[in-house]
Amino acid sequence: MIPQEYFLVLSGILFAIGAFGVLTRKNAIVVLMCVEIMLNAANINFVTFSVFSGGAAGQVFALFSIAIAAAEVAVGLAILLNLQKLQDTIELQDLNLLRW
Amino acid sequence: MTFVEYTWLIPLLPIIGLILAAAFGRKTPEDGGYFVIGSVALACAMSLLVAYEFFTGDGTPVYASQVWIDLGTINGVQYQFEIGYYVDYLTALLLIVVSILCTLIVIYSLGYMHEEGDRKRRYYVEIALFITGMLGMVVASNYLEAFIFWEMMGLCSYLLIGFWYYKPSAAKAAKKAFLTTRIGDISFMLGIIALFGSFGTLNYHQLFDPAFTESFDVNYWMLLFAMLCFFGAAVGKSAQFPLHDWLPDAMEGPTTVSALIHAATMVKAGVYLVARSFPLMVHTPEVMIVIAVIGGFTAFFAATQALNNFNIKRVLAYSTISQLGFMFLALGCGGYIIATAGADEHLLEVGNTGYMAAIFHLMNHAFFKALLFLSAGAVIHAVHTEDMRKMGGLSKKLKITSLVMLIGALAISGIPPFSGFWSKDLVLESTIAAAGVNPWFWILYIAGTVTAFLTAFYMFRLWFMTFKGEESEAAHHAHEAPASMWVPLVILAIAATITGLFLLMPDGGLPAVIYTVSPEGLAIPGETLGLGWIEKFFTAWPTYVSLAMAVFGIGVAYLAYYKKTLSMAFYTKGGNKRIYDVLQRRYYFPEFYDYVGEKGMYGLARLVDFIDRKVVDGVVNAIAAVAVGSSGRFRKAQTGMTQTYAAVVVAAVSVILVLLYIFAGVR
Repeated sequence: MIPQEYFLVLSGILFAIGAFGVLTRKNAIVVLMCVEIMLNAANINFVTFSVFSGGAAGQVFALFSIAIAAAEVAVGLAILLNLQKLQDTIELQDLNLLRW
Repeated sequence: MTFVEYTWLIPLLPIIGLILAAAFGRKTPEDGGYFVIGSVALACAMSLLVAYEFFTGDGTPVYASQVWIDLGTINGVQYQFEIGYYVDYLTALLLIVVSILCTLIVIYSLGYMHEEGDRKRRYYVEIALFITGMLGMVVASNYLEAFIFWEMMGLCSYLLIGFWYYKPSAAKAAKKAFLTTRIGDISFMLGIIALFGSFGTLNYHQLFDPAFTESFDVNYWMLLFAMLCFFGAAVGKSAQFPLHDWLPDAMEGPTTVSALIHAATMVKAGVYLVARSFPLMVHTPEVMIVIAVIGGFTAFFAATQALNNFNIKRVLAYSTISQLGFMFLALGCGGYIIATAGADEHLLEVGNTGYMAAIFHLMNHAFFKALLFLSAGAVIHAVHTEDMRKMGGLSKKLKITSLVMLIGALAISGIPPFSGFWSKDLVLESTIAAAGVNPWFWILYIAGTVTAFLTAFYMFRLWFMTFKGEESEAAHHAHEAPASMWVPLVILAIAATITGLFLLMPDGGLPAVIYTVSPEGLAIPGETLGLGWIEKFFTAWPTYVSLAMAVFGIGVAYLAYYKKTLSMAFYTKGGNKRIYDVLQRRYYFPEFYDYVGEKGMYGLARLVDFIDRKVVDGVVNAIAAVAVGSSGRFRKAQTGMTQTYAAVVVAAVSVILVLLYIFAGVR
C-alpha cells in the first residue's frame, strides 16, 4: 500500500502551486483555477486521513467540498463576466478601484 | 424654659418678615414695611431676653449645634461641619446693640423711604435679609456658619448700595464695594481652610477651649497664617487701609442703609470677627502688631480725608473708617499685651482692658454713628441735597435734628460725659499700656491723639456748616422730619449719652464681663474699677491731652466755620494747595485701584488668555495634526490590489506557522 506521506506531500505540492498561481498570475480566470487547485489539495487531505484513520466522514466531506467548489466557480465566473462587461478587462492589476 | 435655648430663633425671625413682605408686600401699607418692623422687633425682644438671661447667669458660654455635613474620618480625625449657636458675653452684647439699632433704623425707614413707591418692597426685603445675616453672624457657632452669614451681608450691602441702580454712580459704587470686600472674603475662606485643615474643627467651643491650645504650638505657622487671613477678612469688611476706598462710595445708597450697614452694624462684623477670634489670636503677637498698626494708621489716614470733604455723608463715612481703625488699634494693643504677658496678672488685666475698650468703642460708636447718619438723613430729607455748601442755617427749622446731631458730634469728639469720651480714652490708654511693653507703640498713641483732634474738627465743621451760618436757599423750604424719624433719633441720642456709663456700673460694669483668655488659658477680667474709673481718668495726663485736642479741634472749627475769623481758604490758598487736592482726590486711591485693576487683573487675564489660546488649544491642535499626518502615511498600505492582500495573508500565516513550529512546539 502506498504510504500516507506520499498523499500528504502531493497535497502540499498542489497547495503550493495553487498559492503561487493565486499570488502571481495576472488573469483572473487563471487565479480562479489556482484557487480550485488549492481546494483540491484540501480534498486530497480529507480523503487521505479518512482512509488511514478508518472512517467514511472525510470522504463525505470531500464530496461536499467538491459540490461547494462547483457553486463557487459558478459565482466567480459570473463576477468575471460582469467585470469584463463593465471594465473591459479581467487583468487583476487594472482592478484597483478600492484603494486610498 | 430658658430663652438662651431659643437663640436660633433670632436670625430666623427676620426671614419670616422677609417672606411675608415679599409675598404680601404689594397689598399692605408701606409695601410690607410693617411685617419687617414686626419681625425685627420680635427678634430684638428675643435678643434682649437672651442677653438679659445670659448677663444674669454664671457666664459660661452656652452652645448647641447639629452636624450639618459629615466629611468622614481621615487619619483618625473626624471632620464635620456643624450648624448651631454659641452665646457668650460678646455675643450677648452684640445682640443687644445690633437688634436695637436694626429696630430703630427700620422704624426710621418708614418715614425716610415713604416716597420711594414701588421700590419700597425690595428695600424692606433686602434689609430683612441683611438683618438675618448680621444676627446670624453674631450667634453662629463656628467659622463656616459665620462665613455664610458674612457673605449674606456682603450680598445685601451690594444690593442696597445699588438700590438706586439706575444712577450710574450707585451701580458703580455697588460693584466697587462688592469687589473690594470680596478680597477680604477670599481671605476669610483661606483662613477657614487653613484652620480646618490644621486643627480639624471650626467650632468656637472646641477652638477656644484652653485644653486645645497645645495643638497651636505644633502648628504655629498655620495658626499665624489663618489669623492673618481672618484679619485680612476684617480689613475688607471693616474698610481698613488698604481696602477702605469702597466705604465712602457706598454712601450712594439710601441714608438708612448707610446708617445701618455702613456705620452701625456690617462694618463692625470685621471687628467682631477679630474679637471673636481673640482666644486664638493672642497666641500670635505678630498678628496683633499688624492689627494695631493697620488700625492706628487707618484711624489717622481716614480722618485726614474727612477734613475738606463737602458731602455730609462722606464726611461721616470717613469718620466711620477712622473710628473702626480705633477699634482695631485697641484690639491690637490689648492683644499684644496679652500675647506677651505670660502669666503676669497685672499685664493680663491691662490687656483685657484694651480688648474691652475695643468692644466698648464698637458699642458706643454703633449708637452715636447711627445717630449721626440718621440725623444727616433727616437733613437730606429736608433739603434734598448732600452738599454741605448748600445747607447752612438749618438749626432754626430742624430744631430736634440739630440738637441730636450736636449730641452725636460731642460724643464722637470725646467730650465727657458722652459715650465717645470713655471709650476713646480707654483706647488711647491701651496704646500707652502697649507702649510700656514695646516703645514703638508711642507712634500709634500720637497718631490716635492727632486723630482725636482731627475728629473733633471735622465733626464740628460739619455741624457748623449744616446748622449755623447764613440761612441758605434750601433752608427756606426745610421742615422737621415726621415722628417715625425723629423718635428713633431721640432714642439714639439718649443712648449716645448714656452708653458710656456702662463702664461705671457697680460690680465692675463692662470690664467684668468682656474679656478674653491668655495663651496660658488664664481669664482675668479687665480693670473693674466701677466708679473708680472717674478718678482714674481725671488723674491721668492722657485724658487731659485728648480733651485738650478735642476742645482745640472744636475751637478751630468754631472760629473757621461759625465766627469766620479764621479763613481756611487762606491756609489752603483757596483750595489750590497740593495737599488739599490730594485729600480731595482721596490720596489717589481710586486711581490706584483702577491701575491695579488695569495692570494687574487685565495683565493676568491676558496671561490666562495666552495660556488658553497657545498652550491648551496648542496641545489639542498638535494631537489632531499627528493623527492627520500619520493617517496620510498609513493609508498608502491600502493598494486596492487583491493579490497584495493575498500575499500579506500568506506571508503572515507562514510567519505564524514558523513561529508556532519554533516556539510553541507544534509538530
